Amino acid sequence: MKRLKFNKEKCIGCELCAQVCSAMHEGVYAPSKARIGIEAYYDKGGALKYVDSFCILCGICAKNCPTEAIKMTDKITVDADLCVGCEVCAEKCPKHVIKIRDEKAVICDTCDGNPMCVQICPQGALTFE
Amino acid sequence: MYGYKNCVLRINMTTKEVKKEPLNMDWAEMYIGQKGLSIKYLYEELKPGIDPLGPENKLIFMTGPITGTCVPCSGKLAVAGKSPATGTICDCSMGGHSSLAIKYAGYDAIILEGAADKPCYILIEDDKVEIKDAAELWGKGSHETEAILADMYGHDHSFITIGPGGETLSCMACINSDYYRQAGRGGMGAVMGSKKVKGLAIKGTGSVEIPNIKEATKRFVEMERTDTSTDDNNYVFDGGTTAFLDACNEGGILPKKNFSDTTDNISLYDGNVLLEYRKGKRGCGSCGLGCGNFLKMGDVVCEGPEYESIAVAGPNAGNTDPVKIVEANQVADDMGLDTISAGDTIIWAMEMTEKGIHDFGIRFGEIDKYIEYLKLMGRAEGVGAELAMGVKKLSEKYGGKEFAMHVKGLEFPQYEPRGSWGMSLAYAVADRGACHMRAYAANEEVFAAAVPPYTAEGKGEIVFNLGQWNAVKFSMCVCDFWATLSMETMAEIMTLVTGKEWTVERIAETGTRVLNIARAFNQREGFSAKDDKVPRRLFDEALENGPAAGQKIPEEAFEDMKQQYYAIMGWDSEGRLPQSLIDTL
Repeated sequence: MKRLKFNKEKCIGCELCAQVCSAMHEGVYAPSKARIGIEAYYDKGGALKYVDSFCILCGICAKNCPTEAIKMTDKITVDADLCVGCEVCAEKCPKHVIKIRDEKAVICDTCDGNPMCVQICPQGALTFE
Repeated sequence: MYGYKNCVLRINMTTKEVKKEPLNMDWAEMYIGQKGLSIKYLYEELKPGIDPLGPENKLIFMTGPITGTCVPCSGKLAVAGKSPATGTICDCSMGGHSSLAIKYAGYDAIILEGAADKPCYILIEDDKVEIKDAAELWGKGSHETEAILADMYGHDHSFITIGPGGETLSCMACINSDYYRQAGRGGMGAVMGSKKVKGLAIKGTGSVEIPNIKEATKRFVEMERTDTSTDDNNYVFDGGTTAFLDACNEGGILPKKNFSDTTDNISLYDGNVLLEYRKGKRGCGSCGLGCGNFLKMGDVVCEGPEYESIAVAGPNAGNTDPVKIVEANQVADDMGLDTISAGDTIIWAMEMTEKGIHDFGIRFGEIDKYIEYLKLMGRAEGVGAELAMGVKKLSEKYGGKEFAMHVKGLEFPQYEPRGSWGMSLAYAVADRGACHMRAYAANEEVFAAAVPPYTAEGKGEIVFNLGQWNAVKFSMCVCDFWATLSMETMAEIMTLVTGKEWTVERIAETGTRVLNIARAFNQREGFSAKDDKVPRRLFDEALENGPAAGQKIPEEAFEDMKQQYYAIMGWDSEGRLPQSLIDTL
């Protein structure tokens, strides 16, 4: 199964991944609403550090979903009718990338196997393999 | 209109009043955003003749319609006000991530007015705007200030700060963001310091809307792949502007010892040496080129240094130690001083001392003293208090005007015009004084070698075309490192983002309009052809070394280039806009 992979050595901290994600899924440019959150920053100006919050398809959310709203095949899907917004998935997510919005879980769906974040990543820090 | 937030955050530092008002969309239609729109606001709102360091001046942080979108290279922020260095309009294009934060917080622009009576900083978190006490931050370096604010608010905020140079109102004080990105030129840091604003901390969680966003975004991804991160532009990622060192040397425009000559031994100044110390790459928001080289050399850390900072603290200062170049860059950034103007002032002082005109206590090659002087200049202590005035005022006091390398009070960038005559015109007519970012004629004359460099012929047109292109590019907020960006693509981007039709003709007209309103601002302040002048060194002293050896610029050739440019702009022979043109702005 293909998964998103992140190589921080190649990341330049442009935030294009989160911008494109929100554009394609939410219809606006809003990194705060994106299903990926990769950031680079200078720690006290002296070291480059990275936040790499993205779905690794570990399936922990699906296993812990009490209403079986979350399913994992080669991607994660959330059945909005079943999701009650209990936030268990968000709490269990090891990458802290699941958001609850309007009482529903919002999770990366890999853009159906062709992630736009990978397509736009300008220097190849994100791959899907 | 799509792309804009239709909201300006106006903060009066005297009264502490915070107002949110609609963006003037008529002006946005005419000037787009960033450079053009900030100049329009200042043209309309500043009375002529005001003190740039008085409460009447305003400091504008202006985004543009494409800020916060996936349009490549769109992460820049315009920082504009009346310049204390020149008395002209001044807009800077600052990198980093603060532009995105402002837009996502819901604002097209932040306008700072008035002046506080004690140090403060401004916290902006979406709708929430608070003016906070900055007594504990005042006096600290720009880097330490950002680190303290980041500890307090977290890395999901963006920070804009000044160093001691801004606090002491040096006319070469810069504004910093993301530690290593600057609104460098023209003393915008002093304008911020005059308002007693030490910094801004900004967090935005909102959004930017454009029509047909999925299709438009796919097109932006395609642009990124086929037009931005391509072989033509990716040198920026590979080595950054360090590559210019070789190119300028080979073209005979890498200045040596305060522009007294050009270099003849590049091996001493190999930019690749610096890259051996690179620890990582870092770019601005929404940009795939990632031009920043994060270097560590022992205790010295810096993002950069860029070509300008290398050239001025290297060959132009008679220094060959790369570690010291990086240290000088780090110190200047932390002090909140423009590396170009501060460096040019020190190297002018070196020549003054060498020539025995006035003893500033520093000679070519004394790089440790150079670094010490930067600290003194930032804090306005000892000899630094005088040097912080810049070469124009210093040469009026002590002499040495003929080699005080500035236009209108803004010191020269590191491209020797005798090897690229068009650059003398570009410096002379640039809206904020000697600036290489307004019309980069060196590219046509030297790097691309598309036109002969040692002639006046056609240079007015070249400087106009480049100036028009850059004026609209910076008004859209696209970084100049997207060098292959055509007006056709600009028009396509504007149409996709705003949902209104933009043609190439409208893009070109907007560029010319931006050039004109900047000139009109300066004209109102009393500037004309008499001020579009360069130091006599360029006319009187031929270069002795390098590929341009023997070159000097005939004064009549310089005047010829100016008149060519004025004629294309529709200005009179005194470089003045006619009223009919002013009425269109």
